Amino acid sequence: MKKIKKQNAARLLEKWQKEFTVFVPSKASGVAQMAVWDGQDLAFLEHNRNTVIPPKANFLPSIQKMFGFRKEEGGYVLEPTDEDPPKQLLFGIHPCDARAIAIIDMVFKDAYEDRYYLSRRQNTVLVGMACTSPYDNCFCTSLGFGPADATDVDIMLTDIGDSFLIEEITDKGKEVLAGAKDVMAATPADEKKARAVKESAKARVSTKIDTDEIGKRLPLVFDDRKFWEEISAKCVSCGICTFLCPTCYCFDINDEMLRDGSGARYRNWDCCSFAVYTKMPTENPREDKWRRVRQKVYHKYAFYPELFGIIGCTGCGRCIRQCPVNWDITQTLNSLPAGTPTKKQETQKSS
Amino acid sequence: MTISDISHRKRYLAEGNVYLPHIAVIEKIIDETPAVKTFHFNFKDEKLRKEFTFESGQFGEYSILGTGEATFCISSSPTRRDDLECAVARVGRVTNALHRLGVGAEIGFRGPFGNSFPLDYMAGKNLVFVAGGIGLAPLHSLIWNVLDNRAKYGNIDIVYGARTPRDLCFKYDLEAWEKDSSVNMTTTVDREAPDWQGNVGFVPAVTEKVAPAAKNAVAIVCGPPIMIRFTFPVLEKLGFTPAQMITTLEKRMKCGIGKCGRCNIGEIYVCRDGPGFSYEQIKSFRSDEY
Repeated sequence: MKKIKKQNAARLLEKWQKEFTVFVPSKASGVAQMAVWDGQDLAFLEHNRNTVIPPKANFLPSIQKMFGFRKEEGGYVLEPTDEDPPKQLLFGIHPCDARAIAIIDMVFKDAYEDRYYLSRRQNTVLVGMACTSPYDNCFCTSLGFGPADATDVDIMLTDIGDSFLIEEITDKGKEVLAGAKDVMAATPADEKKARAVKESAKARVSTKIDTDEIGKRLPLVFDDRKFWEEISAKCVSCGICTFLCPTCYCFDINDEMLRDGSGARYRNWDCCSFAVYTKMPTENPREDKWRRVRQKVYHKYAFYPELFGIIGCTGCGRCIRQCPVNWDITQTLNSLPAGTPTKKQETQKSS
Repeated sequence: MTISDISHRKRYLAEGNVYLPHIAVIEKIIDETPAVKTFHFNFKDEKLRKEFTFESGQFGEYSILGTGEATFCISSSPTRRDDLECAVARVGRVTNALHRLGVGAEIGFRGPFGNSFPLDYMAGKNLVFVAGGIGLAPLHSLIWNVLDNRAKYGNIDIVYGARTPRDLCFKYDLEAWEKDSSVNMTTTVDREAPDWQGNVGFVPAVTEKVAPAAKNAVAIVCGPPIMIRFTFPVLEKLGFTPAQMITTLEKRMKCGIGKCGRCNIGEIYVCRDGPGFSYEQIKSFRSDEY
């Protein structure tokens, strides 16, 4: 393994800046999010806390131009955008957010490739930072990984005091580190220190859910309307849990016109908490709030596993921390009634 | 029939960006009813015009650039490829904008998306088509597809109804099917109307009266949800099993390719896994959100 002294980290970022747009966790615009590094601010090297806006925004921007169009004499002309987005390097993303990106990759690769998303993904290097300060409501360790998991990044850094320990995970990671002058070999003592840092972080993730038990109970409580009405009673359908969720990817598509007759099609984040999301001219399958809250929980914990073999939640805790009415998905999941199989479930089981 | 039998699917033809619409020109507009028009259109691109393929039951995302996209089935048959057709009821922002367009106007088209009616499964069987109102649009494609390969199928019953005689779509084709001696055509309207000599009654009740035999048959039912909900039990009474009944489900859609999220019924995405489903499949859905 390798390491770099913290005082030299800026030089590594400068090296990367030559090839990539370098994004770092920043509070520059008020809300903590991945922002283009200004070449000066290094506060993020010491402030190891997760951003409020998840890095999904680097692949699926909250609003994104899909293409422009204008009307000429011969008819409409489309102007495709974004075929080859600039190369980006995300520095300091936490393992939960890296896992989230791996999770939504599956949707955008499935059946029809989503070029807007995948072209950004392909042009990206993920430099992870082992999380050393989980929040009280983080529960990543219940989801099969932990605050120092390096599976989903290209390079993993761990803060060991005066230096960062560096693990090269992918070839892409090795490539971008090649020739970095300030990178040195790590000593066994450094590695031991990193292990201790990781273990200590893991031990501090105190919120737990039992995914096996949830997997057993969810199929049984789907039709328990009373339970879902109670669970959803305080929800104000503001959508913040969706917009800040690192694995929520739903989007809307809209056209905008300019005065000169040209226009553009955009896509923007959308949200299953809104009744209008599924509204049709004559009916709406999720007009009821309890159905929308149920949809949210099941999409993450039942539908996603069925479709892609993985739970669509990383336990990052944003939906709990940012909720204006203190709705807590871990409480919901931990309070699922044992339930009884419905007639339909019985017949499905027996057939 | 296994669930996969209805999941025939033709992949999107064009490579590259699946969100970029193809520009097509409206060549003909037929006023079907006061609220429904059928648009005949063709792609501007010569090559695409030749290479474009689809199957009955598939849908497209239609653009009015500047207004937005909306989802409709392709209502013409792949056996009749002079042009493509979509029958559209004026109900929302995009459909209103579409209804204002004239011949020569350009629209955008993405597709074909979704699965198609299981022609292989239907071959050699007696077919019962039951439709209400604008629900005839997807069946219009299928019925012409079947009639253009008439020898492949057994008896054909068509039951079609609308609220009033004015609301019947594809009147010119209803006439053609009426005249076709190999088709048992029944047209009905909900209430008595002046100058209407045909059947009067709701589609489920009229279907019960027509009483198509269930043996070796498949029923394909498209129309407003209320009509579908009342027709399935009638067919069950006539001896049809849920596997012998097929319908198409309607959902709000945006992307058409299983990504934007809104058309799900539990883990089923109607745009990706449907829109065609057997009643057997629908009964097995965990969710009642359809």
